[in-house]
Amino acid sequence: MSERGGVLCSHCLLPVSVRAMQRTVNGESHAFCCYGCCIAFQVKNGKSEEWEAAWLLIRLGAGAFLSMNIMLFSLLLYAGAFTGIDARLLPWIHLLLWVFATPALIILGGPFLAETWRDAADGRVTSSALIVLSVGAAYLYSAFAVLERGPHVYFDTAAMVLMLFTLGRYLEAAGRARAARNLEPLLAAESECATVVDGSVQTRRPVREVSVGTLVRVRPAERIPLDGTVMEGESHADEAVITGESRLVPKGVGSPVIAGSINIDGPLLIRSTCAGTDTRWAQICRSVRDALTRRSPTQRLADRIVGIFVPLVLSLGALTALYWVQWLPFDRALLIGLAVLVVACPCAVGLAAPLATSLGIGRLARRGCLVREPGALEQLARTRLLAFDKTGTLTSGSARVVRIETDDVAADEVLARAAGLERHSEHGVGRAVTAAAAARGLNPVVAADVRILPGRGIRGNADGQAVVAGNRALMSEMGWSVAPALGERGRSLEADGYSVIYVGWGEQVRAALALDDATLPEARSTVEALQSPGLHVMLLSGDLAPATQRVALAAGIEDARSGLSPEAKRAALRRLRQKYCVVAMVGDGLNDGPVLAEADVGIAVSSATDLAREMAAVVLPRGGLWMLPWVIDVARAVRMTILTNLLWAFGYNLIALAFAALGLLQPVLAALVMAGSSVLVVLNSLRLERLPDPVCMALSGWHPTAAAQSGPEPFSVRTEPMIKQG
Amino acid sequence: MAYYLMLFAAGFAGSFHCIGMCGGFACALGRDPSGHGATVLRHLLYNTGRLTTYCFLGGLAGALGEVICTPQGMTVSLVGGSLDSAQRILAIVAGMLMIGMALQFFGLLQGLHRFAVGFGSSTLASSLRSLLTAHGNAAPLAFGVFNGFLPCPLVYAFVAQAASTAAALPGFLTMASFGLGTFPAMLMMGGVGRALAPAWRQRGVWLAGSCILLLGLVTLGRGILPFTAHVAHGWPGGFPA
Repeated sequence: MSERGGVLCSHCLLPVSVRAMQRTVNGESHAFCCYGCCIAFQVKNGKSEEWEAAWLLIRLGAGAFLSMNIMLFSLLLYAGAFTGIDARLLPWIHLLLWVFATPALIILGGPFLAETWRDAADGRVTSSALIVLSVGAAYLYSAFAVLERGPHVYFDTAAMVLMLFTLGRYLEAAGRARAARNLEPLLAAESECATVVDGSVQTRRPVREVSVGTLVRVRPAERIPLDGTVMEGESHADEAVITGESRLVPKGVGSPVIAGSINIDGPLLIRSTCAGTDTRWAQICRSVRDALTRRSPTQRLADRIVGIFVPLVLSLGALTALYWVQWLPFDRALLIGLAVLVVACPCAVGLAAPLATSLGIGRLARRGCLVREPGALEQLARTRLLAFDKTGTLTSGSARVVRIETDDVAADEVLARAAGLERHSEHGVGRAVTAAAAARGLNPVVAADVRILPGRGIRGNADGQAVVAGNRALMSEMGWSVAPALGERGRSLEADGYSVIYVGWGEQVRAALALDDATLPEARSTVEALQSPGLHVMLLSGDLAPATQRVALAAGIEDARSGLSPEAKRAALRRLRQKYCVVAMVGDGLNDGPVLAEADVGIAVSSATDLAREMAAVVLPRGGLWMLPWVIDVARAVRMTILTNLLWAFGYNLIALAFAALGLLQPVLAALVMAGSSVLVVLNSLRLERLPDPVCMALSGWHPTAAAQSGPEPFSVRTEPMIKQG
Repeated sequence: MAYYLMLFAAGFAGSFHCIGMCGGFACALGRDPSGHGATVLRHLLYNTGRLTTYCFLGGLAGALGEVICTPQGMTVSLVGGSLDSAQRILAIVAGMLMIGMALQFFGLLQGLHRFAVGFGSSTLASSLRSLLTAHGNAAPLAFGVFNGFLPCPLVYAFVAQAASTAAALPGFLTMASFGLGTFPAMLMMGGVGRALAPAWRQRGVWLAGSCILLLGLVTLGRGILPFTAHVAHGWPGGFPA
């Protein structure tokens, strides 16, 4: 499916091994990671017209029918129903059990045997080998017992062990599919089709074949397959998967739409603005698939342990049987050995980490947070130091008016006049001033004869007066007078690292506007939420000390270092790692790539447009800084779940193993215990679904992407709620 | 014997409740195009599958009851003392469960109903529908086997009854009697293929509720009353446990 080789199970979206189970369901070829997924997928998606889908269920039903009959007769045997005068019936009952057991074993045991065979071809011995071995031994012993007219047969053990393991696999797979629910919309980009409109003809075409400028129709409740602009229709879109925006975004003619978002309530006709494979959605899809198919370090460790665990258990089972055969009849000793094999099946261990990780990745993805390394979540949970970059991370990355110093005029008048000039400018300063005026709802004073003076400012005429906005040099050049107090305040602002724009009219300098790359409004609450005894927050900036200090103060970070080149930042991270073990770096992903790569976990907040070149392991949506505490909470919950899963899987195995070796656990009970163990691991992991959603704190009325709906380039424009008046 | 006959009767009465869900399945199973005999075989196989599951559950519940009752080994010597305390507790729990189910049949205890039927039964049932239309004789059998596991308060009540017998064989026989009791109505549903008038169904459900209520009270009585007053004592053939 993916050109990078990773194949995901059609049912639970966990990676499948080299030799997957291939089945054709509803005419499509599917790969499954295990037998359980194969059953669960066909139960869920099998159409009744499909013989194939029903066939699996029929076999299971027939197997269950036979096993239950075996179990019934065996229960009656154990209860002593065939003693006394009925004793001569016993061999016939045994024969009947054999007749029932043989097809049951073929039906139910076949998939396990096939799995063992596939693994053996790869040179691996896995848990299915233990099942096959124990069931086979019980069956063969019983068959001999029937021929030899022995007193006991254990067909019930063979059949019930298979039945319980099949049931366990099914339940496990059903739970895993639940875990994959959040990931489905992200992975859909590869299989999605678009309704392409060409004149009066509408055709369904795979998204990957759609190019720029194509007209595409999107019906209500459909996923918007391409980035584009609305040509016709009005609707609302749910963009959470891509942008993290949890509210519905209104769309009308001319609004941009994002691939992967869901068109809620009206039909739309859109013109694509980029090819189907270049959308962020398609990139996210590739990236998530990559992350899911790679194994985290914990998982590799668990796999290695399982690899040595199985041969160990095999020899332990043999030793147990050998030990007990000295004290007990052969069949009892054999049963104890088999119980050891069955109870030691490390099914749950293999499931512990990937399930929790994929749940965590899916949970984050639903709010537009992307995890690109499976191990990143675990690393993030262990992080002791979180270093922020300044520009573009804690600050908006674009200049804005933060202070207005005036000389006996109203700040609004200053802004209105300055905006009248600056709206003719394409310069960042110009945009900052017009935005500030717009934010206050001011109408710019119309200026004529506007001339841009490169490097100095801008001038024009309004109401018959010359109006000028520019730097100190421009003001001296004009020869206009400055009130001493205003001049002094301007100079002190300049010393503090602000860029200062003077505004004057009527031959007099009236005001000084201080521009700064202002701290994001959510920076402080985010840092407050992050700071805890276990997590040190610091600021690493390449900027001058006063500017850095200002942002550190505004964000509430005590430990700030300034004047660091990218190389110095990397060196600082290396030093800090010695003290804090695991360090994470939050940067803007555009300029900080190498620094993010140096950290154990790189987190990008406003990432590069091309995800493939992204260096960060975790990518937050643009304007998603406020989600960082939540992301870390999720990461911690994932790590906790993995640890409890592993502890449970191993601890449970060891305790049950001890019981089995002591002869206190019947093989059937052992199978029940084992099947229950993996179901419990699934249930424990599914608790991750109940984690709360991120809450946007501290700023009532402010929303991360509230301002993003209007501009042609979304998510970079911000309102100006924080202008101070001097 | 009378005990099992009574269970059979209860199953028969209770099967008017079954018509709701399982009857729908029986109808959907439909007729075999290759003839009347094939249709009967199809429905017999379906019901055999169902019966097997019930018997299995009964045997298992009985065995479980036995496991709960035997290890204590402390037979409380009551008057005539044949029931130890664990079995009494089991009888009380089973009796209460049955009474609860019966009350739910009368439309009381709605929460219990949701608890009993709400366990994703609808998704399971809908996914099993693919078996209904599949060809061959194994499909109705397999469907019957799965059908037996579908959550149903009636089955729960009788499984509780089976557990209270505290031995595999009577547990098996309890569920077998009940399951055979449901045969006529279900076969009829399959053969006739039309639902009873809703009013009759409601009466049937009440009848089922009354039967279960009575059984529940008897079971509860076995747990609470001293042995001399034991109801089972009066039954010809005695109580098999």
